[in-house]
Amino acid sequence: MKLELGHFHVKEVTFGESTRFEDGVLTINKEEALAVVREDEHITDADLVIARPGEEKRIVPVKEAVEPRCRVNSKHNNYFPGVTGTELYQVGDGRSHALKGCSVMGVGKHWGSFGDGLVDMSGKGAEYSYFSQITNICLVADTDEEFERHEQQKKNHAIRWATHRLAEYLGNCVKGLEPEEIETYDLPPITKRDSSVNDLPSVVYVIQTMTQMEEEGYNDLAYGWDLNKSIPTLMHPNEVLDGSLIGGSFMPTSSKWATYDYQNCPTIKSLAAQHGKTLNFLGVITSNLNVALIQKERSALYVAQIAKTLGADGAILAEQGYGNPDADFTACYVALEDAGVKTVGITNECTGRDGRSQSLVSMDPKSDAIVSCGNVSELIELPAMKEVIGELEALGRDGLSGGWAGDEILGPSVREDGSIIMENNAMFCGDQVIGWAQKTVREF
Amino acid sequence: MKKAICYINQFFAGIGGEDKADHAPEIREGVVGGSMAINAALQGIEVTHTVICGDNFMGSHREDAIQQICGMLEGKEFDLFFAGPAFRAGRYGVACGEISKVVQERFDVPAFSSMNDENPGAEMFRKDMVIFEGGKSAAAMRTDAQKMAAYASRVIAGEAVGSAEEEGYFGRGKRHMIYDESLKPAADRAVEMLIAKLGAQPFTTELPIPKTDFVPIAKPIKDLSKATIAIINTGGIVPVDNPDRIQSASATRWGRYDISKMDRLKGGEFKTIHAGFDPMMADGNPNVILPLDVLREMEKEGKIGKIHEYFYSTVGTGTTQKEAARMAQEMIPPIQEANVDGVLLVST
Repeated sequence: MKLELGHFHVKEVTFGESTRFEDGVLTINKEEALAVVREDEHITDADLVIARPGEEKRIVPVKEAVEPRCRVNSKHNNYFPGVTGTELYQVGDGRSHALKGCSVMGVGKHWGSFGDGLVDMSGKGAEYSYFSQITNICLVADTDEEFERHEQQKKNHAIRWATHRLAEYLGNCVKGLEPEEIETYDLPPITKRDSSVNDLPSVVYVIQTMTQMEEEGYNDLAYGWDLNKSIPTLMHPNEVLDGSLIGGSFMPTSSKWATYDYQNCPTIKSLAAQHGKTLNFLGVITSNLNVALIQKERSALYVAQIAKTLGADGAILAEQGYGNPDADFTACYVALEDAGVKTVGITNECTGRDGRSQSLVSMDPKSDAIVSCGNVSELIELPAMKEVIGELEALGRDGLSGGWAGDEILGPSVREDGSIIMENNAMFCGDQVIGWAQKTVREF
Repeated sequence: MKKAICYINQFFAGIGGEDKADHAPEIREGVVGGSMAINAALQGIEVTHTVICGDNFMGSHREDAIQQICGMLEGKEFDLFFAGPAFRAGRYGVACGEISKVVQERFDVPAFSSMNDENPGAEMFRKDMVIFEGGKSAAAMRTDAQKMAAYASRVIAGEAVGSAEEEGYFGRGKRHMIYDESLKPAADRAVEMLIAKLGAQPFTTELPIPKTDFVPIAKPIKDLSKATIAIINTGGIVPVDNPDRIQSASATRWGRYDISKMDRLKGGEFKTIHAGFDPMMADGNPNVILPLDVLREMEKEGKIGKIHEYFYSTVGTGTTQKEAARMAQEMIPPIQEANVDGVLLVST
């Protein structure tokens, strides 16, 4: 498969009469964009607000982030097959265009849920989320999804899917334009590679996608399919980068990977950069994080089997989540090592507010090479921001994983003056286990 | 100018060696002997007082020594506390740890010390305070004092400080998240680590897996009806006056108590001193932790041969693996002498 990703670097986003991209400026016709959002009658209220890096803005509750994309010279118009539009087809081959340096961000106008998060666009809080560094086109919306209005766990279907449609709509404005640069991902079939490549150590990238909910609507999707109901499978890295995977709505958000994260997966890019030089990048094994022990064992067994069948010498194993999924992470790590596959893990930790709890629920001496991206329970205190996009109260009121309504010692997460105290848990996609993290955990 | 108080032993105060080790606690104004090196290295902080105590006095009259010293500190204004450096002097190291731990809690000031990695005080107290890794002997006085004084000065000034490894103190078992702009993204760190691992080159994991000692499960007792069973608990069940002064957390002490004439443990006679759970149920009925009542019934029914005359007790919460292992080694001989066939180990 050969994927060409045409880049259009967005330096400014503004509203205007037509949606277009010119000289680094993305202009959005708000009414037209919101009409795309309102294609779903469950959206009852919607607005677009721009948040730029360095601005004193706080966004919460954030549910999803997507990079605006479109397909070029393709007979298909829907960018996320199985999720948007009606056509199901394979992605990862051909040309796609991307508006770089920005995301479409799905934000609740009022209501948050367990897996929703917070993004600060400046100050200390901007150290904790990758999305503080890019311009976020915030879709601030409300819905009539009454069945989950007061539930802690929300599928957030209307807002998340609107975010995908909006990203497609915006992406389409660069369909006919010539990109400023083209990134090419050309990874031939495994048995059709030059001997110089075949002689290098062969590696796979194993992603443990979030699939802990038994009911449909919350979990990560592959081509629209709930990965809870799958066994680990081999995917071409280009498919991951090109819209086949969709982030879910369940995990405490600092551990979560948004759709944007999959589209830009830094670990795939880092492995692709080494392909043919130091490594032979075989592909991505997409695994899951189901809750029953036998499902964990079965998935670990399949991952090890696929790696072994492919003849992988090494693996990078990344866990989306913490707590219960640590059991999957360690089981999979051990299974790979036992199969003779030298493995490096990427995960976050839960060491408690005092830093003294055991890092992972399940640990094994065989997992001797781990990159750590954060402590979910680290306490973070931040001053008020000039503007809140969404509703600040949601952090404390709606059961966001890192917020609370009241605490005997710490008081409420959201204070009257707009300052906040929270756990890292609620930083939107904060631990960046997908590969961005310039964070780690050290002993003090 | 912030104020510090130092703790040193009789030797580093110039009072004398082993023959003066029973020296009772005293406090002097300003610097004395070993506290001079600390004072010289401090920035924006001065040593106002030095506490001196003989190592034996602290070792054999711990409670008394701590009480006396706390009395001396009462009413004095100070922002931080130093103890040592203790190098490889074992009793001195333990004394530094004991007093620092209490001073930190009671006066709410940070305490700093320095010890050699072979000083037992380092392992015992590393989780409670900042203990820099120091030299073997007093030859390292200046360097060791400099290290802790420089670090403490930065902490008091509110400056950013690094991790235990970066700063050179024994890790306190506290793992915290750090953001570092100069850190490579996790993806690149992982790929580099993988290339090193594949090439059998050295690499450093960012999440060290703690070493665990796997203890194999004992072989079943062939005939329980002829066996003598002992009970050990880490749930802190003790006679109400806690005669062995077992600590409520981070225990280093244990006790054994005669139950040969009891059918059950009575509330009011026994209680729990464990600080890690709500004691209400266990205080009312200690058998919920240490099930003597049920075991006696089994003994009467002939299911168990005999219950050993004593139960053994300590507290598990916060107790280091090392201390727990030492206490177990001390419990084993009397249990073996009594021809005990099996031990029921109960926690909380």
